[in-house]
Amino acid sequence: MRLWRLGKKRDKLTFTMTLSRREFLVGMSAVSAVWLSGAIACRDSAPPNADTHEPDANSAEQPAGFVHFAPDDAADVEAIAARIFPTDDTPGAREAGVVYFIDRSMTTFAVDQADFFAVGLRDLNAAVANAHAGVARFAQLGDAQQDAMLRTIEGGEFFGAVRFATIAGMFALPKYGGNRDFIGWNLVDQRSVMEYKPPFGWYDHPDNQIALLGRIL
Amino acid sequence: MQRPPAGRSYRTDEPVDFVVIGSGPAGASVARELSRKGFDVVVLEQGRAFAPSEMEHDELGAFITERWTNSSQTQPQTHRTNTQDTAQQRPFVGYAKAVGGTSFHFTGNYWRFRPIDFNEFSVRGGVAGASLADWPITYDELEPYYSAVEWAIGVSGEVSTAPGEPRHSRPYPLPPLNVTGPGVLLTVACEKMGWSHKAAPMAILSREFNGRQPCHNCGFCLGFPCEWGAKSGANYTMIPEALRSGRCELRSECYVSRIELNTAGRVTGVLYFDRDKREVLQCAKAVVVCANGAESPRLLLLSANAQHPDGLANSSGLVGRHFMFNGAALTRADFAHEVNGHRGPVVSRITHQPYELDPALGFVGGGGFDFRFDVPAMLMALSLPASEPQWGSAFKQRLHSWYNQSLLCYAHTTSLPVESNSVSLDPELKDAWGLPALRTTFREHEHDLRMYRWFQARGRELLDAAGALRMYDDPINDDPGFTVHLLGTCRMGNDPAASVVDRYHRAHDVPNLFVVDGSSFVTSGRGQPTLTIQALAFRAADHIAQFAERNQI
Repeated sequence: MRLWRLGKKRDKLTFTMTLSRREFLVGMSAVSAVWLSGAIACRDSAPPNADTHEPDANSAEQPAGFVHFAPDDAADVEAIAARIFPTDDTPGAREAGVVYFIDRSMTTFAVDQADFFAVGLRDLNAAVANAHAGVARFAQLGDAQQDAMLRTIEGGEFFGAVRFATIAGMFALPKYGGNRDFIGWNLVDQRSVMEYKPPFGWYDHPDNQIALLGRIL
Repeated sequence: MQRPPAGRSYRTDEPVDFVVIGSGPAGASVARELSRKGFDVVVLEQGRAFAPSEMEHDELGAFITERWTNSSQTQPQTHRTNTQDTAQQRPFVGYAKAVGGTSFHFTGNYWRFRPIDFNEFSVRGGVAGASLADWPITYDELEPYYSAVEWAIGVSGEVSTAPGEPRHSRPYPLPPLNVTGPGVLLTVACEKMGWSHKAAPMAILSREFNGRQPCHNCGFCLGFPCEWGAKSGANYTMIPEALRSGRCELRSECYVSRIELNTAGRVTGVLYFDRDKREVLQCAKAVVVCANGAESPRLLLLSANAQHPDGLANSSGLVGRHFMFNGAALTRADFAHEVNGHRGPVVSRITHQPYELDPALGFVGGGGFDFRFDVPAMLMALSLPASEPQWGSAFKQRLHSWYNQSLLCYAHTTSLPVESNSVSLDPELKDAWGLPALRTTFREHEHDLRMYRWFQARGRELLDAAGALRMYDDPINDDPGFTVHLLGTCRMGNDPAASVVDRYHRAHDVPNLFVVDGSSFVTSGRGQPTLTIQALAFRAADHIAQFAERNQI
């Protein structure tokens, strides 16, 4: 069995890996286990036993501010994330607090990518200034202008890294700073109650098993 | 759930009967069997013990930040395709780094092998460029141990009477798990195609068993530990039972660096770094290496000395050779209604129809299929096929339909033993303990690539029969990317020139050294090796205990 596939472009990148096939696809760590065990608080309560087993994350813990990004950089990162998961008829990366997840990652498990992100933002804003006279920052552009700008870099490493980080921040447990109120999970109906009873979907519903197979498995 | 028993503690300077290296399905089983037979056993495990309260549904920790897997930072690896190339740093081998080994986070597919897996070379003949060989044991010799494992840990399933199914001396102890949407669709497909199918045998409890709770259907199986204790991993079964024997000590966060020999050529103990990176020598009368198909050969190579300059137990030159995984062919597909394969067990129904293939196809080997949806939202979003929208509102919408209405058709297959595919020591890169890093050399055998393509075509037929709307093939190429089934690197055999351990897992070259895990495999099997690893461990422990009682170690 082959589990995941890693990009070979760069060695120690959490967010810049190339993802493709096989059972699932995973980034590589930029953090030592020693650091991790210290940085990630674990619940010390007993495991749940009730039927309504809530997930482990503490969604009440919301970051108060940025620990790494300057306000302008945070605004740009948030703006990019918000084009990847826009706010439309459902909440997006902005409401999920993805920028706080990315911000925190820059001082923890993705600390070795802080410079890469800084350079990427600088280059992006240089391109913004070049294309839009009088505009200095990506975040100042309108949605359509932002989309057009991102389309020019969507094949590149920087966009790939921000996209990876945005997806991670959308779906990682809220304790890591994003996925606020499980907005990411709700987007795909991944429920925050961690127990299911059959039928799980349409095909295993007894009526549909009868229709499909003539019997119930 | 019972609290883990404390076990006991042994002095390091007095030889214990056995040191077992690794607490995975193999090591934990060996330790349980030997300690319950009255031997003193110390188990060394590089990972730590996780409390159920730490077993979160933490995708970031499970797949990105290596919360309970081997570390790409402290344990870097290098990889190359050809033996003449210089290997480049890249993670290629993955395993759980925790008490319980990879059964700590496994999916729990517990397939038995069939007789053909042990004697395919005799039945079908060799393949050019591969070292196909028969095992020194047969299915019938292993069968009692398959049943013993199934009943010891709790496996849910239903014995099939379809043609070709192997003999079971006992039924499964537990009925099958709940059927899932992907399971129903696979069954529909098989019945349309006239294929056999059956309930998947899974090391997950469908009912309460030995005081453990049944599965809660949360769906976080692959890559996650089970906070309920419903998965029958070694951390919930063999380890606590070994500790309760009163003759077993488990030392976690111990990183073994070397097996020590005396001038008589006998193992005297095991050198390891404790959690504070202090070197400790644990003296032992015998050592059982169960560190997995990558770390076991690496440890033998790290233990080279004047008598064994090419690595311990390596007079054959085959330590680390014949590195195998299980082949795969994957196709994803959309369906009209909610599949929701992310709920319930990852796999509920399987087919072994293509277990043995028509010789006219020109392939030696075979496999089986399941339908599944095995990843939570983050990996799902990261792995959306390139043909689909990758950002924006269309991306958001596609994620919803992909998550709830698609599934993965997964072919699990053999892969051939090729001598140049190997685990070895990197000549330059070191790990955080200063030891040579793991180096892998691997390229697919052309014969296997053709077989994977054949399986992918059959998978598309299954999906079509199930009513798939659209299909997305994962490309099949020479680079498997990353792997977790680590097999074949200290193969068993009767001939000391052509194998590393004998039919009882004793090293041909060292009388009080045994190697029992996926490295013992002579062939890969069709997929899902863990039950066979564990059955081998039960069998080996039986024989090792008899040797010890007769003073033959």
